[in-house]
Amino acid sequence: MSFLYPLALTGIAAVGLPILLHMIRRHTRQRVAFSTLMFLRTTAPRLRNRRRLEHLPLLILRCLILCLLALAFARPFIPRAVSKRPERVGKRLAILIDTSASMRREGMWDQAVNAARTALEDAGPDDRVSIMSFDQDAQTLLGFEQWAEIPPERRASVADQQMSELSPSWARTELGRALVTTAETMEDDEINEEGRAGGQREILLISDLQQGSGVEALQAYEWPEGMKLTVKLIRPRGTTNAALQLMADRNRLASSDRDTLPRVRITNSADATAERFQLGWADESSTVDVYVAPGRSVVVRVPTRTQPSAGQRLVLTGDDHDFDNTLYVAPSTPGPVNVLYVGNDDPNDPTDMLFYLRQAFDIDDVLNARVLRRVPDETVGREDIEMAHLVVVADGVIGQSVAPLRQYLESGRTVMLVLRSPEAVRVLSDLAGTENVDSQEADVDQYAMLAQIEFDHPLLVSFADPRFGDFTRIHFWKYRRVDLANCPEAQILAHFDSGDPAWFEIPVGRGSLLVWTCGWHPADSDLALSSKFAPLLYSALEYGGTLALRQAQYAVGDPVPLPIRTMSSRGNRRMRKPDGSVINLEADQQTFAQTNLPGIYTSESSANTRRFAINLPPKESRTDPMPIEDLERLGVSMAPSNIAIERTEQATAQSSFSEMESEQKLWRWVIVAALAALLVETWLGGWLTPTDPAPEGEQI
Amino acid sequence: MMGQAAASNPRPGSHPGSGMVDPAALMKIRSMELRARAIVHGFWKGIHRSPYHGFSAEFTEYRQYTYGDDPRTIDWRVYARSDRFYIKRFQDETNLRCHLLIDHSRSMGYGSGSYTKAQYAGTLAATLAYFLFTQGDAVGLATFDTEIRQYMPPRNRPSYLRRLILALEAQPHGRATDLGPPLQRLAQMLTRRGLVVLISDLLASIDRLERDLGYLAAGGHDVVLFQILDPTELSFDFDAPALFRDIESERDIYVDPSAAQRGYQRLLSKHLAQTKSICQTRGVDYHLFATDRPFDLALLDFLQHRMRLRKQVRRVASPGSGGRT
Repeated sequence: MSFLYPLALTGIAAVGLPILLHMIRRHTRQRVAFSTLMFLRTTAPRLRNRRRLEHLPLLILRCLILCLLALAFARPFIPRAVSKRPERVGKRLAILIDTSASMRREGMWDQAVNAARTALEDAGPDDRVSIMSFDQDAQTLLGFEQWAEIPPERRASVADQQMSELSPSWARTELGRALVTTAETMEDDEINEEGRAGGQREILLISDLQQGSGVEALQAYEWPEGMKLTVKLIRPRGTTNAALQLMADRNRLASSDRDTLPRVRITNSADATAERFQLGWADESSTVDVYVAPGRSVVVRVPTRTQPSAGQRLVLTGDDHDFDNTLYVAPSTPGPVNVLYVGNDDPNDPTDMLFYLRQAFDIDDVLNARVLRRVPDETVGREDIEMAHLVVVADGVIGQSVAPLRQYLESGRTVMLVLRSPEAVRVLSDLAGTENVDSQEADVDQYAMLAQIEFDHPLLVSFADPRFGDFTRIHFWKYRRVDLANCPEAQILAHFDSGDPAWFEIPVGRGSLLVWTCGWHPADSDLALSSKFAPLLYSALEYGGTLALRQAQYAVGDPVPLPIRTMSSRGNRRMRKPDGSVINLEADQQTFAQTNLPGIYTSESSANTRRFAINLPPKESRTDPMPIEDLERLGVSMAPSNIAIERTEQATAQSSFSEMESEQKLWRWVIVAALAALLVETWLGGWLTPTDPAPEGEQI
Repeated sequence: MMGQAAASNPRPGSHPGSGMVDPAALMKIRSMELRARAIVHGFWKGIHRSPYHGFSAEFTEYRQYTYGDDPRTIDWRVYARSDRFYIKRFQDETNLRCHLLIDHSRSMGYGSGSYTKAQYAGTLAATLAYFLFTQGDAVGLATFDTEIRQYMPPRNRPSYLRRLILALEAQPHGRATDLGPPLQRLAQMLTRRGLVVLISDLLASIDRLERDLGYLAAGGHDVVLFQILDPTELSFDFDAPALFRDIESERDIYVDPSAAQRGYQRLLSKHLAQTKSICQTRGVDYHLFATDRPFDLALLDFLQHRMRLRKQVRRVASPGSGGRT
């Protein structure tokens, strides 16, 4: 027999009450009025001794009634065999281990490996398990297929071996992408193994779940139905974590003044317990104290160096975790930005285009731009062309200059061609290598305006915001109509309101030829007076990719652009990594992607040597744990905890017991028995208890 | 040990035998005057051969004449015999002034039988009053609890007896018993010597009883104390445990009689012995009556005691007179 509410059986303890009352001399409620109490003292109730328990049957009956009542309230029932839980079906389990830089904190990696091992031990022989790791990319260490092929007794050792080769990297955390990849991998496995589809699907995420984890990829992903995510949160031993970040002060960094020092931002974690840190150069003993409250950040100027050196490394001390306490600062070697202008313009004549071009570039001391003018009648020197970051051709060029310019274009640079006359289209044919491109002066009624602007193009993307995309105030008095029917590779960037192309691009080799059918000098348009003019020129300068080479600070995992090889820089190029390893670069390699270590990288070639710094991604230093609810808000379905599962099972069992009890209703018979015992007790009590004689004295 | 009277007390309702009137039967007579009359007449029948006609008509003493005495009081026969002037003093028959001092505290309302101590005390007082009225004495009444509640000065008119008996029929309503203030007040009020009959259960502290009785004794009054107790109060022979409530203070205590009886009797005996001792010290005529004691026996005890007292006075007076002629 079982009980629905076994706790009610504790009511049986109430039988002690009648036993005690039977042992106590009956305490009368009778009151007797008496003339005085001055000769009386209170008498304590006396316990009857065992010999005086003369109402033993009555006592037994009373105890029985209490026991029956407790039994009835406990809701007894006779349990039947409950159908057992269905046999355990093999499930798919993907163990996703975080190997980002934040896992380098003390003791965390061991916790993560232990958690993975525990999960592997719990996996059944029918389960399909995959082990994956992730930082900014997800990697499969052991796939579902491999797992299935390994004999069950060897799976643990193989998995252990895979994990022993794993270690935290220096990369940032792209949690969202990793989850999406894992989920897709699991779905692919289901599709491939249709016979095993339908089982439970679970992703076990072993991570510190830091705030800096990128989860944006989940926003555009519909989480598969029935796939559950379990998070094994790895907690650090200490919570104080301060980080360094170089401020993007390009103006100062580009300065040649050595006394001007960069500034760094020092952030402290929100759950930190310390707020005093020391900042100093790695190879110098002097440090400065920095106070940062938990959750706050301060910007400080780095300490002055006594001995400048090529490699610069700032070190922060005083927090619990030092994985993000080193900041590499590459020595800045900015050179001038050269803009080559080929035209007959007088630089000081405000009616010519060059005047405005110089006005646009000379005002900027950040880039230190220089405008070089070459007249079309002269042969433009190869050195001038190779030094130029942007070439603007305003008039025709002589035949000797075409080849270097075309080579310049093919190497990946940008040439801006302004058609100030229909005859200039010849230069277009020469540079782009196209034939039969006609051009003529357009017939403009008062003025023309721009329409159909391709804001998706990198040249115009900075105007994509509606606040900046209004070109209707720019009036074009004259322009050259160019027929691009014979130039299908041309991409029109903007049309005039008449439908004629205003700006278009013709790819030449790896570079591009930007053609403007209208000049910016006042005779053609008032573009030079517009606020759009300078941004347009800078976009054209940046479009060639030359400005990216001037950057000296990158994060781990970022692809670093490589300088474009020119005629004068032929030869082997190689990259020296901070650990001393050297990687030979391909001839046509444009970016270097093996930036997996923080430190100073050196790009060496016969022409020059470039140094740049790779640092930890700033987001990786945001080590406060992210609430798991953030993942749920992004649609991720979380697996219930073990406690919740147990509670559910208990509730289910309780529900089945409740059904049995309600069917049997044994408590009714127990209540009937209790009532019967009560009747007998009442009768017996009346029979056994002698009629008390009338008390003497006056009764109240 | 119990007092002598208490030890001989029969249970309530028991017949005393010896031809006395059962108080329970007597108390069934509603009119107190009739009860008093029946008792006194029955008493007269029982002692009709008695030579005593009352104590107030008797000679008391001789005293040598001194200047200023009324010459009419000179006993000329003594002068004839002794050639000296003596004046003869008599008890003034009509000048006997008796004060009945009745305890009307709430404890007097207790009674285990069909009547209470207050009813018994009232009947006893009415009997004495009727008896004294028939002798032509003046009888007054004072009821008290913690102070005097009602006072009727002594009178000797027949109609006054009826008023007196009506006052005696009133139920006790006082709270506690305190003899001090009433006796002190009465001593101040009584300028002439007389008889003071105090009827009470004395169920109160008797620490100051000697001093309180001294107020009356110092005034030359003849004090008689009737202590009235219920037979149950004397024996405390209850059967079942109960919550006993003090009538006066209304305090409850749980008492198991079988366990408390011995202690009760011991304390009560001590209390009664102290009371009797105090009365003897102060020359107070002390009588302990249980409410089942017949009234005529009580009256007889009273009269016998008065007669003994008179003889003592005579014995004292005779030698002092220097030889009677």
